[in-house]
Amino acid sequence: MDLVQLAVGKTLSSSAVFLMLTVLLLAAARRVSTGIILFALQSAIITAQVMATAYTEKSAEAWVVAAMVFALKVVAIPSALLWLVERLKAPRAIQPSFSSAKGVFVAALMIFLSYAAVQPYARQSTVPEDNLAAAVALILTGAFLMVSQRKAIMQIVGLLVLENGIFLAALATTFGMPLVIEIGVFFDLLMGILIMGVFAFRIRDTFEHLDVTKLRRLRG
Amino acid sequence: MMLLLPLLIPIVGAAVLLGFGANGLARRLAVLVGGVEIVAILRMVLAVYSSGPLQFGRYLRVDGLSAFFLLNVALISSLALAYSLDYLRHTEGERFSSARWFYALLFFFMFTMVGVCLSSNLGLLWIMMEATTLASALLVGFYNTRGAVEAGWKYLIVCTVGIAFALFGTIVLYLAAIKSGLPPNVALDWTALMEAAPRLGSGTALLKLAFVFVVVGYGTKVGFVPMHSWLPDAHAEAPSPISALLSGVLLNCALYTLLRYDAVISRATGTNFSHTLLLVFGVLSLVTAGLLIVVQRDLKRLLAYSSIEHMGIVAIGVGLGGGLGLYGALLHTFNHSLGKTLLFFVAGNVRQNFGTLRMDRIGGLARAMPKTALALSLGSLAIVGLPPFSLFVSEFAILSEAFSQSRVLVATLFLATLSVVFGGMLHHLFGMFFRESKQPPVAPYMALSEAVPIALAAAGLVWFGVHIPAGFKSLIDGAMAVL
Repeated sequence: MDLVQLAVGKTLSSSAVFLMLTVLLLAAARRVSTGIILFALQSAIITAQVMATAYTEKSAEAWVVAAMVFALKVVAIPSALLWLVERLKAPRAIQPSFSSAKGVFVAALMIFLSYAAVQPYARQSTVPEDNLAAAVALILTGAFLMVSQRKAIMQIVGLLVLENGIFLAALATTFGMPLVIEIGVFFDLLMGILIMGVFAFRIRDTFEHLDVTKLRRLRG
Repeated sequence: MMLLLPLLIPIVGAAVLLGFGANGLARRLAVLVGGVEIVAILRMVLAVYSSGPLQFGRYLRVDGLSAFFLLNVALISSLALAYSLDYLRHTEGERFSSARWFYALLFFFMFTMVGVCLSSNLGLLWIMMEATTLASALLVGFYNTRGAVEAGWKYLIVCTVGIAFALFGTIVLYLAAIKSGLPPNVALDWTALMEAAPRLGSGTALLKLAFVFVVVGYGTKVGFVPMHSWLPDAHAEAPSPISALLSGVLLNCALYTLLRYDAVISRATGTNFSHTLLLVFGVLSLVTAGLLIVVQRDLKRLLAYSSIEHMGIVAIGVGLGGGLGLYGALLHTFNHSLGKTLLFFVAGNVRQNFGTLRMDRIGGLARAMPKTALALSLGSLAIVGLPPFSLFVSEFAILSEAFSQSRVLVATLFLATLSVVFGGMLHHLFGMFFRESKQPPVAPYMALSEAVPIALAAAGLVWFGVHIPAGFKSLIDGAMAVL
């Protein structure tokens, strides 16, 4: 058997497991920088999966998408966020409203829930169940990170994880959206991170902390 | 080319403003670019009106429905642009909070909203909707106070997450279309989806799932309860011309996307599923926001909740469907834009003179500032739906549709909420008008560039209430024919 083909097959079959692993680790992360690096790792796994899909589907578009995911989500955004953490001199340790153990427990529950949720759709179509479940798990964990974490940067990481989940769902079900649309989505993501960065500086300057739970002036 | 111009002009204008414009020049440059842009949009609307849909490439298209909403974009933007000229005179030249950045971001914002109306591809539509959030977030945080930064952050996060769900819904719809045999390169094209709608019926479960995600996603931007939490903060903290644009144009654009999806899904599934979902969100938004209006303390927050209420009314009209329901809904989006623009402009004037928007600290408005008080009372009477103002006409149309379908519960809730809102608004207004004021404004001030847009909006409200011009009527008919 061809070595490349073997690698492709292994990537497609095992990437879901690795993605679930990053989900559990993210839920337990206690430092902002750990969260960012885990996000980069997660994106690297997704890059591998896009490359494997590109190889099996023989699609030139998918190779372009793989290159974009790598450049943007593995290199550019994580390094920009790490720079932001450095510049903001935010205390590194995050105090989530959950302890690590509880976080992992919730994440595990979410993985379980994802499998239950995709059952009917996976049976109907030819979509691999593991990948679809991993996508839903990423979306749920992203949302969970956004509501449970207090630091502005960690909310951004949560949003990115959620976006990764949606990207993976598109990849698993339809081999991704048309290239032009995919580029537009990436562009929006990049601009979004840029503007959130501007706001992170402003929150620091006007409130002298980055704890979004203390943004409580506006209510009702 | 005609379709490309309204997208290019604001981008070039924003680039020129950021590249060369000094803050002093910014205003004159903005008037020039804004004027050209509005003419370009109106020209396009007129072309559609006289000779039918236009297409440019694979991704841009204008039809009757987009023309109707483009007219809304053009009118409200021109009013807001005129109003902002004097309103911004006190801003000092800090970065992101200077006149230069204000107009550059405003043009980006206009670009994205025109883009929403022009996208014929649902993927591009999503990209443009997300871009509206990005373009307006810095405008919401423009004053850089604690409240503004908080509101901007909340707006950015809540809407981005909401819109992410809409992307998921779009992907599910794409999957359903591909499974029914549409080629991938047209599976997100709205016209192709409408043509293929009867064939899409095989994946009913997928289509329903798609619509649930889309309605939650774009519904966040429309301000449906319970996804509305960003809306009062953003509207209250943004500069008044931006509040008017958010309420009068952005909410309508978000609703416009829902109309597009609703048309495809209801045609494909052959059921009322999507209509019913809109109806439920509409009633929920109407009732909740209507009750919250009564307890508001800040004038602009009160107006923001009123926007949620009116978006609920529009959703009810769409959800009821039928000729009169849809007609009322479309007319109501336009009327509400006019009314709310007027009110946010007046609120801006009140803030300039009193230095606050806390309604319990505002008093003696009737004696101290008769012109402002007159505009405020006209706007409020219009927004609660009294004749002879135009909101009465559209609300009446939606209500008669509810009665003719004998939806007694919907009609009762509708009427009850409107009465509560009427009482609440009257209570707040009387307080501001006649209460003894602790610190009345020294010299009441209203610039000409503020007074003219306010007067124009008021004139529009009365005009459309008394008589709807035939041309406008056929524009709405054209929009309804698309659906």
